[in-house]
Amino acid sequence: MMDAESRFRDPSSLFFQFDTVRRYIIASYWVLIILALPLWWTTTSIERLPLPTSEVYAQAQKRLEIPLAICVDSAFSSQITSLQRSIHDAASYLDVQIHIGQDCSQFPGYAILPGEQILIEDRKLYYPPSADNLASTLASLLAPKMDHRAAQYSPRFRLSFTLLNEDSSAGQVTTSWDIQQAIARHIHPITSALGILHNYTIESQVQYHALLAFEPRSLSNGTVFGLTPEDLTIFINSAEWTLSSSSSNDPVFHFVLFIPSARRRPLIILNSDGTPSSSSAFLIPQWGGIVILNLPPPPPTTLHLDLLDLQSSFSSFSRQLLTLLGFPRLPPSISYSSSHNTSLSSWQIDTLLRQRIHENVIQSHDTLQSTVTLVSQIDGMPVDEQVQSQVQGSLSALHELFTYASVNLTFDEMLAYSAQALTLSSKAFFHPGMLAMLYFPAEHKYAVYTPLFASAMIPLLAAALREIAAWRKERREARAVGDVKEATSGDGPKVDTESVS
Amino acid sequence: MLRTSLFLISLLLSSVFCLENINEEFEEHLSIKSLRDGRVTSSFSFTTLLRDAIPRDPRTLAFDDDISQHYTLFPLSLGQILRQYAITELHLTLNAGKWNYDTWGYPDEPDVGVGAELRAWMAGDSISSIDERWQGVRNALAGLFCASLGSLDEQRTTSPRLSFPPEGALPDWGLPHELRHASHASEHVCTENLTPFLKLLPCKSLSGLATLLNPHRIFDADWHGIGLHVLWRPEGVEVRLNVQLVSDPLRISAQGKQDWSFHSLFDRKVEKACPVASSTRVSVELPNSGVYRVYPEPQEIKDGKAYYNLKNNNEAWNIGTMWPTDFEYRICHAALSPPDPALVPFSVTRNLLGPTQDRGELSIVLTNNQQDTLQLLYLETMPWIVQFYLHTIRVHSDNVPRDDLVSNISYVLPVPHARPATFESVLTLPGRSTLTFSMDVAKAFLRYTEHPPDAQRGWDLPPAIFTPLNQSLNEPMSLGSRVYTPSLLVDLATPDFSMPYNVIIFTCSVMAFIFGSVFNVLTRKFIVVRLDPPRNQSASRAEKRLENTDSDTSNELNTSKSGVH
Repeated sequence: MMDAESRFRDPSSLFFQFDTVRRYIIASYWVLIILALPLWWTTTSIERLPLPTSEVYAQAQKRLEIPLAICVDSAFSSQITSLQRSIHDAASYLDVQIHIGQDCSQFPGYAILPGEQILIEDRKLYYPPSADNLASTLASLLAPKMDHRAAQYSPRFRLSFTLLNEDSSAGQVTTSWDIQQAIARHIHPITSALGILHNYTIESQVQYHALLAFEPRSLSNGTVFGLTPEDLTIFINSAEWTLSSSSSNDPVFHFVLFIPSARRRPLIILNSDGTPSSSSAFLIPQWGGIVILNLPPPPPTTLHLDLLDLQSSFSSFSRQLLTLLGFPRLPPSISYSSSHNTSLSSWQIDTLLRQRIHENVIQSHDTLQSTVTLVSQIDGMPVDEQVQSQVQGSLSALHELFTYASVNLTFDEMLAYSAQALTLSSKAFFHPGMLAMLYFPAEHKYAVYTPLFASAMIPLLAAALREIAAWRKERREARAVGDVKEATSGDGPKVDTESVS
Repeated sequence: MLRTSLFLISLLLSSVFCLENINEEFEEHLSIKSLRDGRVTSSFSFTTLLRDAIPRDPRTLAFDDDISQHYTLFPLSLGQILRQYAITELHLTLNAGKWNYDTWGYPDEPDVGVGAELRAWMAGDSISSIDERWQGVRNALAGLFCASLGSLDEQRTTSPRLSFPPEGALPDWGLPHELRHASHASEHVCTENLTPFLKLLPCKSLSGLATLLNPHRIFDADWHGIGLHVLWRPEGVEVRLNVQLVSDPLRISAQGKQDWSFHSLFDRKVEKACPVASSTRVSVELPNSGVYRVYPEPQEIKDGKAYYNLKNNNEAWNIGTMWPTDFEYRICHAALSPPDPALVPFSVTRNLLGPTQDRGELSIVLTNNQQDTLQLLYLETMPWIVQFYLHTIRVHSDNVPRDDLVSNISYVLPVPHARPATFESVLTLPGRSTLTFSMDVAKAFLRYTEHPPDAQRGWDLPPAIFTPLNQSLNEPMSLGSRVYTPSLLVDLATPDFSMPYNVIIFTCSVMAFIFGSVFNVLTRKFIVVRLDPPRNQSASRAEKRLENTDSDTSNELNTSKSGVH
């Protein structure tokens, strides 16, 4: 008995077999796991910087009011209230201030003066005092409906002019055109007058084989060929004609001067009832314009189109360009006189500017709202610093615009702010980094971790549960022993010694 | 300040890619030649000259791009790219097949390396601006030609010093011009590259010589390639688009005759002339000997070539050559008659030897076919996946070690995962000798994600390029025609791509096992269990054993266990 005692120490007397030490070991594992959880969380979570959501929603509630001062001659004083109401109904974004009782001919802003006929000169409108509906005329001048054919605002447009020979091997080929002079005469006045709105890059090319993807209808025994309105919708053969440019992201307006093959002239546009249309030009909304130029039949095998030949085509192009840029038309009843040699009045340019500013603001509101909604809806969408700064930049541009619009901003600056807000907001919305994590969902992560975590956690959990159970049992027994002790004046340890000895 | 801005404005005005009333000229030319082995090579070239234009000065890139570009014949989409990235000279080739110099001789267009090859000369005051533009032009051309040129990234880009001198002139702007070169041997040219290529031609493939460019026949040819070359000469900017192919009339015709015609080679004829081409010419190289007939009757015969002008003729052209007899392979007579004179001054074979996946040997065998000593500029642009050991270079001439035959070595070290190696040196070939150049190489071990989708196929290594140096006493050194070797295929250690999940599972199991054991040992409770001495044994010899148990103190269990013993 005694040598057995010397050979085997009671294991419970070893320090690492103490219950407390074992419990510390188990507890330290759990403490480590709990401490490591935040680290694991941060290293595996997607970077989602906060976006100024509430500011975006607050900003979207605001409405821009562009100040507009009009001096009205006392001859029209009776119509002031109806004027104000009709303008507000047509465009709520205008903050109209009407000045009466001044000498309006010297007024720096808009002025309505009595005149013989309805006439616009610079920013002055002459109107016969006897005529009525001044209010509706003014509303249509200051806030016309935006043309749906106009392209969206962009700081830069590319104007691409293409001379298309349908089939130059059919006997006649147009090899050159006075494109630079034609642009200088017809397009530059527009681009320089509207230079405040956009920048323009102009390019031109000539193509010699531009086959149509369909056969035009032959009329009057094959002497005339016609294009029905349905044909016009498929006129552009984008697979064969190399019109698009790949080198930049700027929106392009295409202007195509189409010269039908010598075998297929004249090529005319038909109305929907089949009668020939007087026009040889048509417009594809937001894309560009096409003019069909029917040259006299051969003999000359090679042709050069000079300025005179291009006159009518380019005046069509200039009208199409104005439409595509959203330039408001004057109502037909109003005539226009100008001291400068241009067909664009400051009145119309200002109106377009105001419309574009308003449009940009609305659009950047929409884009910002969509961005924050999307980010809040999709948890797996990362938001990096760039997106955050773009959203903030867009917001601050809008903020500047709204704060100073009524104080001291020129149209120029307002447009610049609104364009900046629009560009930044759409950059944020289309930021490629926002899609990165959508294709690596959390489920994949867990699938990779489970083999390790599950097999490691089971012994940990089991040990913890067992220890808790043992601890509870011990307490219960201790209590029971205590009860017994109370009853029998305590004999518990003796049981042990007896069993040992 | 005013002077500099005036200078810059004048730069802006002068460096427009198109000046007022530029004369643009378009010429097309096709040269056809019968080869020694009965094949026929056709080389189309379409040249547009933009007279008096100069490339864009890169210093104007900082300004807003407001200048108009007006072209009549020059392709606009290409002009935009050249202008946007201020490219002075550009060469892009997409080829398929191995050009057989020994039987076909030198090609009309020297760039016949297999796969895609792109090189550009750009001026610039900073390397970063050049690299940025190089990346831009790569991506723009990739979009224009539907080719994977985007993969010609910095891992494939080199700047060899000597092998690619500018073909045209470089404008003197007081800025250094830099070359960027990249090649990708696995890129395969096909119809999707030819279609955008044809759209750059003024007459597309609807009239003129381009009518013959029938994709079915081009891509059926034994060797085919398309190329785009932009260069500047003092008279203007020239854009040359070329298509070369080597077709085999013996394969097409069942009769064993080497007769060819437009119709047999391309399945088309030239029906209509391109109305805007200032010249449309076809030249047919006449065979040196034998009886043959070239039809139709050539308009001009000069220097062994028959010339046709297709410009002012409205009939359908079907030019061809006929032989009265079947084609005879010369190789049968090699033993009897003296061999044919060599078409090229030297021939080359390049191999990658060695059976293992981590080491190998690059071996090059060059044979000088001439009496004279030949000096060759040797260029390797090797991706970092194959790394050279330069100290192991061994040069033998007719099996005699001759280390003096390699000289002027310039070497740019590869950077793993980032930069390829550039090895340029001059090899001297004594007359009528065979030179063997060999060098040990190491093959890289790639990261899991760096393998291409078809990893088991191996990696195509770009061809080596040999350029003869023509050295004479009075003239400065000039370079001869480049010779491309075929590409090599290297087999790198490839993982089993289904492994990662298995590895994860396996590693996790081991980890969990180790963790469990350690944890168990740490938290296990040992107790001494005394067994009651069995009655038939001495009471004093109570057996004591150390029993480890997971449970706390279950005496009953232990006693029952001891009862079993």
